Amino acid sequence: MKKYLYIILIFVVGCAPWTQVGGLYKNESHNFSVELPQGWMKWNQGEHLLITRDGVSLQYIQVGRTKLEDPLKHTKKKFSRGMLPQEAAEVYLDNLASNSNILNFEVIENVPVAINGISGFKAVYTYKDKDGLKLKSIYYGFIVGDWIYGICYNAAQRYYFDKDINIFDKVVESFKLIKTT
Amino acid sequence: MRYIGLVLLFCFVFAGCVTTSLPPVTQDSRLEDDETRLWLRFEETEKWIQKSGLIYDDEGLEIYLNDISQKLQPPDTLKNISFRIKIIKYHLPNAFSFPTGLIIIDTGALSRLENEAQLATILGHEMIHTTHRHALKKFRDTKNKSAFLATITYGTGGLGGIIGALGALATVMSYSRELETEADTEGLKLMVGAGYDPREATKFYLHMRKEYEEEKIKEEHFLGTHPRFQERAENYENLLKTKYKDNQSGIQNSEIFKEKIHRVILDNASLDLKAGRFKIAERGVDKYLSIKSTDPKAYCLLGEIYRQKAEKGDLEKAKEHYQKAISIDPSYPDAHKGMGLIYFKQGEKELAKKSLELYLSISPQAMDRIYIEEYIKQCQGGKKP
Repeated sequence: MKKYLYIILIFVVGCAPWTQVGGLYKNESHNFSVELPQGWMKWNQGEHLLITRDGVSLQYIQVGRTKLEDPLKHTKKKFSRGMLPQEAAEVYLDNLASNSNILNFEVIENVPVAINGISGFKAVYTYKDKDGLKLKSIYYGFIVGDWIYGICYNAAQRYYFDKDINIFDKVVESFKLIKTT
Repeated sequence: MRYIGLVLLFCFVFAGCVTTSLPPVTQDSRLEDDETRLWLRFEETEKWIQKSGLIYDDEGLEIYLNDISQKLQPPDTLKNISFRIKIIKYHLPNAFSFPTGLIIIDTGALSRLENEAQLATILGHEMIHTTHRHALKKFRDTKNKSAFLATITYGTGGLGGIIGALGALATVMSYSRELETEADTEGLKLMVGAGYDPREATKFYLHMRKEYEEEKIKEEHFLGTHPRFQERAENYENLLKTKYKDNQSGIQNSEIFKEKIHRVILDNASLDLKAGRFKIAERGVDKYLSIKSTDPKAYCLLGEIYRQKAEKGDLEKAKEHYQKAISIDPSYPDAHKGMGLIYFKQGEKELAKKSLELYLSISPQAMDRIYIEEYIKQCQGGKKP
C-alpha cells in the first residue's frame, strides 16, 4: 500500500502546477528576464509567466508577450507596428471595456512610460468581477517588432493591492529584453 | 423483485415531476412556492444589475419607454405585475425580461430600432415571457428533466453531472422554441391591440440577422440569453401573412421615437467603436446625424472611427470629419486632438503642434495631457515620431 502512495506522491510532485520561485527568471521563448520576488508561487501551465503569493483571485503578476496580429478577445481592434503608445493603450483598454465580465470599469491613469528604455504605456484601472469583488490593475505595455509585451499587476483593491505594489514595481524595474532586435 | 424495482423507479420519476401547465398571471393567481423562490433569485439579480454600472442613465428615456409598455397591457395585468423598463449599456442587441416584471433592453437593441412600433414588438414579446410565467415553466421543465435524468443515472449506477444542472438563471431564461413562439404570437397581439403597425414587427429582426451575418457574430449575450433573430423574423412573417394579413396600417411614431433615443444611438456607436465594429459604429453615427445633423461630437466620432480603422484613404476621411466638427464648434477639443495625432504620425510637425496645443488650451485637464505634451516636445525637438 505504501508503495502506491509513494508512486502517487512522485507523480503529484513531478506535475505540480505551482512551484515556489525567487530571483532571476529568464524566459527565452518570450525573450525577457525579470527578478522574481522570494516566496511567490509560479503557475507552470500557462503560456505567460504568472506568479502569486496569496492566490490569483487576490493578487498576481503576469509577464509575457503576444503577437500583434493575434485577435483580441473582446474587441476586433488590433495592435500594429508603428502604433503610438497612446494608440496601443487605447486598444488594450477598449478590449477591457468591451469585456462583459468586467463591471464598473474605470481608467484611473493612462500615461506614457519607458520600460527598459523602450517607449510604452502604463494604464491603471479598477473594475468589479461578476461576484462584486473590486480589483485594481496596473498594466505596462510596449511594442517591439511583431510583439506587444505586457507586465500586469492585478489585485483586490482592498488591502492586497497596496500590500504588493512595491514588489510589482521592482519586477517592472528588473524587466529586460534578452534580444532587443 | 425485478418488477418492484421498476415500479419504484416509475414512482420516483413521477413523484419528482411538477406541472409546467400554468395559467398566465393575468388571472387572479398567487405565486407558488417554487415561483416565490425564483422571484427572490431574480430580485437579487436585479439588485446586482443596479449596482453593476451597466445601467444607462437617462431618466427621461426610461419614463418614455415605461409609458409605451403601459399602453400594451390591460389594466388588470398591470395591477398584478409592475412592469418597469431599464436600459443597459451593451453594444450587442438584445432584450430580456424577468418574471418579476423587469424588462431589460440594451443600447445595442434600442439604437437599431426605427420607431415605437418596433419597440412595442420587443416589449410585447418580453412581457409575454413574464405574464405567461415562462421562467417558471422552463425552471420546472428543466427540474423535471433533471429528476428524470437523476433516476436514469441512479438506475445505471451514478449521479455525476446532475448537480448544478439548474444553477444559472441564464438557463431558466433560455426558452424553448415553443415558448418563444407563444411570446411572438401573444406579444404581437398586444402590439396590434395598442394600435401599432404590425408590418414593423419583422424589420428589426431582419436587420439584425443581416448585421450578425455581415459581422460574423456568433457570440451569446453576456447574460446568457440568445436573440435568435432568424426564428423571430420567421414567426412574425408567418403571423403577418395569416392572422394579420388585413392589418396594413397602424401607429409608427418614428419621429418622436428617434428624438427620444438619439443620445443612445451615439453612445452605442462609441461602444461599437470600442469593440472594433467600425462599420456598425459608422452606421450608428450616420443614423444619429440624420436626427441631429449639426452635432460636432458625432463628426468627431466619425473622425475617430476612420483614424482608428486606418485603412487606405481613412486618415484623409478622418481629417474631413474632424474639420467638419471644428467648423461647427471651433472649441470642440477632441477634433483638434484627432487632427493633431494624424499630423503627428504623418510627420507634419508644425500642424501637429498647432492642433495639439489648441487641444490642450481648450481642455487643460485632459486625461492624456502627458502624452500630448510629449508629442509637442517631439515636434519642437525635431525628434522623429
